[in-house]
This record gives sequence, C-alpha cells and structure tokens, in this order.
Amino acid sequence: MSRVRTWALAPAGGLLILLFLIPMAIVTSYSWMTRGPYGGVAAPLTWENYARLFDPLYFSILIRSLVYAGIATGICVLMGFPLALFISRSGGRKNFYLGLVIVPFWTSFLVRTYAWMFLLRDTGLINTALQALGVIGEPLPLLYNPFAVMVGLVYGYLPFMVLPIFSTLERLDRSLLEAAADLGARPLDALFRITVPLCKPGILAGSVLVYISCLGAYLTPDLLGGGKTIMIGNLVQNQFTTARDWPFGAALSLILMLAVMALLLPLVRRGNEGLL
Amino acid sequence: MNRRLFFLSLSGLAGCTRARLPRLNVLNWSDYVAPETIPDFEREFQVQVRYGVFESAEEMLARVMSGNSGWDVVFPPNYFIKPMLDLGLLAPLDRSRLNGLAALEAKFQAPPWDPKLEHSVPYIWGATGIVHQTSLRPPPAGWAGLWEERVRGHVTMLDDPAEVLGAALKKLGYSLNSAEPAELEAAKRQAERQKGLLRAYINEVVKDQLVAGEVLAAQVWRSTAMRAMEAAGKRLAFVYPAEGYPLYADNIAILHESNRQELAHRFIEYLLRPEVAARIAEVKLESTVNAEARARLPEPMRTSEVLYPPEDVLTRGEWFQPLSGQTQRLRDRIWTEIKSS
Repeated sequence: MSRVRTWALAPAGGLLILLFLIPMAIVTSYSWMTRGPYGGVAAPLTWENYARLFDPLYFSILIRSLVYAGIATGICVLMGFPLALFISRSGGRKNFYLGLVIVPFWTSFLVRTYAWMFLLRDTGLINTALQALGVIGEPLPLLYNPFAVMVGLVYGYLPFMVLPIFSTLERLDRSLLEAAADLGARPLDALFRITVPLCKPGILAGSVLVYISCLGAYLTPDLLGGGKTIMIGNLVQNQFTTARDWPFGAALSLILMLAVMALLLPLVRRGNEGLL
Repeated sequence: MNRRLFFLSLSGLAGCTRARLPRLNVLNWSDYVAPETIPDFEREFQVQVRYGVFESAEEMLARVMSGNSGWDVVFPPNYFIKPMLDLGLLAPLDRSRLNGLAALEAKFQAPPWDPKLEHSVPYIWGATGIVHQTSLRPPPAGWAGLWEERVRGHVTMLDDPAEVLGAALKKLGYSLNSAEPAELEAAKRQAERQKGLLRAYINEVVKDQLVAGEVLAAQVWRSTAMRAMEAAGKRLAFVYPAEGYPLYADNIAILHESNRQELAHRFIEYLLRPEVAARIAEVKLESTVNAEARARLPEPMRTSEVLYPPEDVLTRGEWFQPLSGQTQRLRDRIWTEIKSS
C-alpha cells in the first residue's frame, strides 16, 4: 500500500523539486552574490542586495505595490461576491454564467490586456461611443493612468475571486437561510449575518489568489499604465533586463515572497479555523 | 511483441538521424529577416536552420552567457560587442572565408566597435529620433520639442532608460553615454519635468496611436517611425533631433562555443550578398549597411532621407557604447526614481 502511495506521489514530488525547489535554491543563492560586470553573478558573497531594500526609493515602490494590490483585491471582493451569489442562485443557467466567467481565460492575458488598450484609447470603443452620443466633446484620458492599471488588475483577476466564493456558496446549507427567515430575519440581514460569514473561507481564498497575482503584476502597469507607474514586478523585471543586476533582482523577488507569506499566513490560519 | 515494436521504432529513429541535414542555430532579433531569407539559405546549402528570436539585447546575452547555449550565430547590437568579447563569447572571424565584405559601406568596414571586423559583421543600422504629425506647426526640431507645453498629453517617450536618459542628456548638450553623476542627475531632473507632459513610456505600441492621430509627437526607433509613416503616409514625418541622437547597429557574430564555424561563415557570407541584404532592408523598412544592397533598392527607398540621411545629419548622431557596471547601476537607480516620481 505504502509503496503504491510513494509511486503515485513521485511524479508530483519530482516536478515540485525540479520546478520549484531547485529554482528557489538558485534564486536564493544568486541573491547573496555580486552583480557581474555584464549581468550574471560574480563571486564575492554579500549582504548588500538585501541592505539596498531599505533604500526609501525601493521601499516606497514595495508599499505602492501592496496598496495597489490591496485596492484591486477590495474591488474584486465587492464585485465578485454579488456576482458569485447571482450565479449560485441562477438555477439552470448556472453553468452558462460560470462559463462566461471562465471563457476569457482561454485567451492569453497579454491579448486581453491589449484588448483593454483598444477599449480605453482616445480613438477606442468607449471614447468613440461617448463622443458619438454627444456625451463628451474631447476624448477622456482613460488609458495610461492608475485608473487603467486598476481596471486591468480587477478585470484580469476577478475570476480568481468569483470561483472560490461560488464554490463556498454552493456548499451553503440553504436550510440555515430558511431558519433565519422563519425567525424573522429580512433577506439583507440574512445575507450579512448568515451568508457572508459562512462564505468567509471562499472570500479569503479568493482574496489571497487575487492579492498575490496583483502584487506580482508587471504587464498591466506597463501596458495600461504606460510605464508611468512602477510596481515591484516591474522593478524585478528591470533588474533582469536593462539593469542587468540579477542578484538584486533575486533579492527583491525573495523579499516579495517573504512579505506575501508574512501577510497571508495569519489570514490563512484564520481561514482554516473558520472552516472547522 | 511490445519489445519487437520498440526495436522497430528505434531503427526508425536511426533512419531519421542518417537523413538529418546539417544544422545551424541562429538567434536573431524578432522580425529581422525577409520571409524567404532563411528558407532560401536552407535550400541552397542543404541545411536546416533552427531559428530563435529575442526581444532585447539583454535577453540575448542572458541566453548565450553560459557558453553552452547551443546557438551558433547571434546578432548583437554594437554596444554589446565589447561585453561579449570580454566574456569570451565571440569567435574570431576568418575574413578570408567571407567574400562580400567589400560590399559594405566604407564606414561599416571599419566601425568604431570592431574596426577590423575581427568578431562581427554589421547587419543593419538604426537611430532614435522624433516622429510627429505634420499638422504640428512648426515641427519639433529637436528633443526640446518633446518638452513643450503644446504637446501635453499627446507625447510619448520610449520605455527604455538608455533612450530617455539619452534624449535628456543630448538636450542638455552632453554625451548619450555619459557616466558623470552630475550630468546624469541633471538629465534625471529633465526627465522628471517632462513626465508631467507625457502620455506614456511606450515602444512599438505607439505606432497605432500615431497613425490614429492620438499622439502628436513621440520618441521612436526609426524602424517604428518607418512603419507608422508607411501606414499614415504624409501625415507623419521623422526628424533627426538637432541636439544629436543615438545611433545603433546590429551585427552578425559567431559564438565561440559553436562547432559549426564553417557553416556559420557561409551564413554570414550569404547575408552579405547584395540581393539578400537588399530584400531584408526592403521588407523590414530598415537601413542596410551594405552599399551594393542599397543600390538595388527600389527608388523611393534608396534615396529616402529618413533611411539614409545626408552626411551633415549623420555626424550629429552618436553611437551607443557599453557602460561600466557602476554607471549601469547609477542609471538604473535614476530610471527607477523617474518612474516612481
């Protein structure tokens, strides 16, 4: 029996070692090394890459990324929960609506981000339509600002919020709501005192997924923000491209991972308790 | 039964190896040859080309830096030749095996980054300048035009530290390749001042917005400008900035690790053929370094002052040069400050 178990776990375990542990070990070791003259890494081991993180410049970028990701996650909760609730109560058309949420995933994220550029541009769909209707005279500057970045982040990661919430809603015991109604709770009371608390694990799981994805985003700030706002993902990317400073890039990405873990561990732990 | 099938398939594999053509591994910038360039070479020399592409020079360097990358021929920009030589990545070229070098324009037979063409052969040269709507009157004459109030919200710069700092440095009358902290600091202040006017830091994406008239003026690579002007006709024009501007050239080089040196030389020789080089320049709207190839180009292209500016314009240009690690680091910090200002 145990041998079967070992063999069954071997492929996943091997993959994890090959594609997760080994790269992590490489990144960690790079982060202690010195920048090579033309990129790459060189010999003397150093603390310096970590010390640089306390530079207010880099620190402020980290804070900005945390705030952006937090706002995007908040909007995703506010939009995702009602949507998930709607889908879970839409009876026969449930699968159709779920499909609508998932279908965009069939196209690459890059293509969908470009699609937003075409919607938000001066001569894009939204501005052209508003101008044709006479609502506005001049095109609104929708693209290349923090608003566009937020739209891109929320759009890109909303399904990560909807799906976990939907699955907790599906498992929700309807009789609890009936009991609440019998005891005189109005629907809105029941929603906030029964449904939302019971959905907390789904909301938490969705928030974690959205938050982490937003924190690492670099395509969206570049393409929809026009490179005018820099998030930590762009900073990491720069170190591996134009700056050719791999060790600092490695240190940055490790710190980002640690920061995410430090933020999320208490949440996840509480989420687990909520499940019990 | 199974075992027999297995061995049968093995012999099939052996058959494949025997029939396999010699292979050449070429790593080039994306979208940098004519559609028939590679297939024609494969047919004529009875070889198979594995053709890979990169989007930035840094990416190319990262991919070949191990010295065990499996590539034979690469296309480094001029300011990457010295770093790659220092890293021992480039093989010496055997000029006696390269017919056709004489077809190159005189200045590309002895370029500053490799005066005797010992490790590289120039391929295509380019520049960075300004493209603007012809409705913008008077047209911007130089970089200072991209700092003017009248283009507010309708001007873009490249999303590239060397280009943005380069333009700011030139505007101030300094060298593109400045390593002087005080000059770089002054360039940073220029860039930060300009950021308030800017629509975005974008690269090729600006083409559509220029064609649609959303952007009035933009810092662009000339290749992007050519494509935009092809689509928009006389509504757009290209300017070589008065204060000076960056020049760059991509080169063909053979990696030291390659054990197909002979075939790699044949490939370079093939790309030096005037008809091959002319086709690439024509299809890609680029400036060839090959004088005989230029002579074969169709009329509007051969005499285009955008592709082949007169000598007095060319002398304002400055070649990008490799920067020291220290300067690179200072410039990245400045770039990060500009971006988060």
